[in-house]
Amino acid sequence: MLDWLDAFLITGLFEVVMIAGLGLLLHLQLGLARIANFGVVGFWGVGMYTFGVLYVKVDWPFGDPWQFLACAAAATLVAGLAGALVGWLISDLDIDGVLVVTLGFATAVQIVATTEADWTGGAFGLGGLGFPYDIGTVKENEFVWLMITGLLVAAILFYVWRVHRSPYGRLLIATGGNEPLARSLGKPTFRTKLWLFVVTSAAMGLLGAMEAVMVRYLDVGHIGISITLAAIVGLVLGGTARVWGAVVGTVLTVGLFDIVIRTYLPLPREWYSQALPVMREVLFGLALILVLLFRPLGLLGDMRRDQLMRKLHGR
Amino acid sequence: MSEAPRPPNLEVAGLRSGYHGVTVLKGLDFTVGDEIFAVLGANGAGKTTLLATLARLIPVMAGSIRFQGRDVTQLRPYTTAGLGMGYVPQEKGVFADLTVLENLTVGGMIGRRPHDERIAEVFELFPGLRDLQGQKAGTLSGGESRMVACGRALMQDPNVLLLDEPTAGLSPLYVDMFFDKIRELHETRGVAIVLAEQNATKALQVAHRVMVLSLGEAYAVVDAADLTTQQLKEGYRI
Repeated sequence: MLDWLDAFLITGLFEVVMIAGLGLLLHLQLGLARIANFGVVGFWGVGMYTFGVLYVKVDWPFGDPWQFLACAAAATLVAGLAGALVGWLISDLDIDGVLVVTLGFATAVQIVATTEADWTGGAFGLGGLGFPYDIGTVKENEFVWLMITGLLVAAILFYVWRVHRSPYGRLLIATGGNEPLARSLGKPTFRTKLWLFVVTSAAMGLLGAMEAVMVRYLDVGHIGISITLAAIVGLVLGGTARVWGAVVGTVLTVGLFDIVIRTYLPLPREWYSQALPVMREVLFGLALILVLLFRPLGLLGDMRRDQLMRKLHGR
Repeated sequence: MSEAPRPPNLEVAGLRSGYHGVTVLKGLDFTVGDEIFAVLGANGAGKTTLLATLARLIPVMAGSIRFQGRDVTQLRPYTTAGLGMGYVPQEKGVFADLTVLENLTVGGMIGRRPHDERIAEVFELFPGLRDLQGQKAGTLSGGESRMVACGRALMQDPNVLLLDEPTAGLSPLYVDMFFDKIRELHETRGVAIVLAEQNATKALQVAHRVMVLSLGEAYAVVDAADLTTQQLKEGYRI
């Protein structure tokens, strides 16, 4: 079964799905509410390590899939609580302050994951994770996990699509666009932004738990800035304000590099360990600069709210 | 038994406020009834600070603000908005990424009357907005933006509307239209209006009472008809 499917392709597709999911959540924060979260990987990492530590270190009275569900729920909850704390800290800050605090949070998460070796395995990593099912070969298990994660990201995409068409979405745009004005209109903007940050951070934590299952071995290298960078580049390239922006941008960046270039181009073997990761960051950075220079609203452009409103109201 | 008199829409006593420790308003006392109350003054007099303070967007340093008898001095802006205080800022009065219709619906998130009914009333007052409803507010002209901002504030069904220099920078045609609308709004819908203006001539044509602000202090609070040119000149420090 699945002989036609390359194992590297599954890994590459999983990376695309994961970054697209993070990009969609970042779209709600940055594209609608204008919260410049540079600490995406921090919330993702909190979810990943919470899941990993609970799954490996706790002696659960039940096995999978309940063990997975309990650990994933806890990871989501802890990431949401981290979101509540960071969201509260950044609620009154300008964009520079938000960048510093969120970036600092992500750095702190990586430092804690490195230093708390008794729990996280530190620099040596944390093994013992596995799929909550076993349907055959590793490739088959990974393929099913890719499908499950794909469904989760599709659900996030559907949620984002719904938000764009809802009064809540308009409130987020209003709050992001002009917070004092939104406050003067009877909108509790602090609560709105905080709740958005909690929910999206919790979802990032859940995606982190999904990643932990896929990689099955956690090391601090997983939670580096490259994850945040990939999500931001994908989102900006596609269009921060558009529903499909993160998906299109991620396919064109992570998809193109991690699947097409890394998997199918005949590159020298020695490049894979050192040169390719660096080249990836350089190309992503270059893509970001080019988009900001020549198409600052992203490939899909600005929000099409005029068309959306005509569709919704037929006016 | 005779009914107790209704409290004024706004009662301001000893109001001091400002930014980052700098006092701009230095102890204002005035009331606003069912009327158009103009706040006149030169640049820097404190008109914008006063309206933003009344809208509860700037913290009060001292004094009190009562809205229809209720102390709102320490309330949050969204709470006072919910009580019926509408605010139209001088600049950045629209949500640029939302369409005109969406701007109006955001304003209508509070209040009980059906949205469509309120939107129809706004279009009746500002017919020009009907054709622009699908257009993003960030692409509108200055006059159109002000109409959207006013319309959005009216969607809240306010009892008191705070208008911060609604005609600043507009062409004479729009200026005349706006002052007509302000009067119409008060007469047909009974909305009390606090109107901050630099254009004293126009403001005095529609206002019932007027306060001349000078460097954060009330130089004069009088009936509009009683305001003398001398008071105005001294208030404007001309």
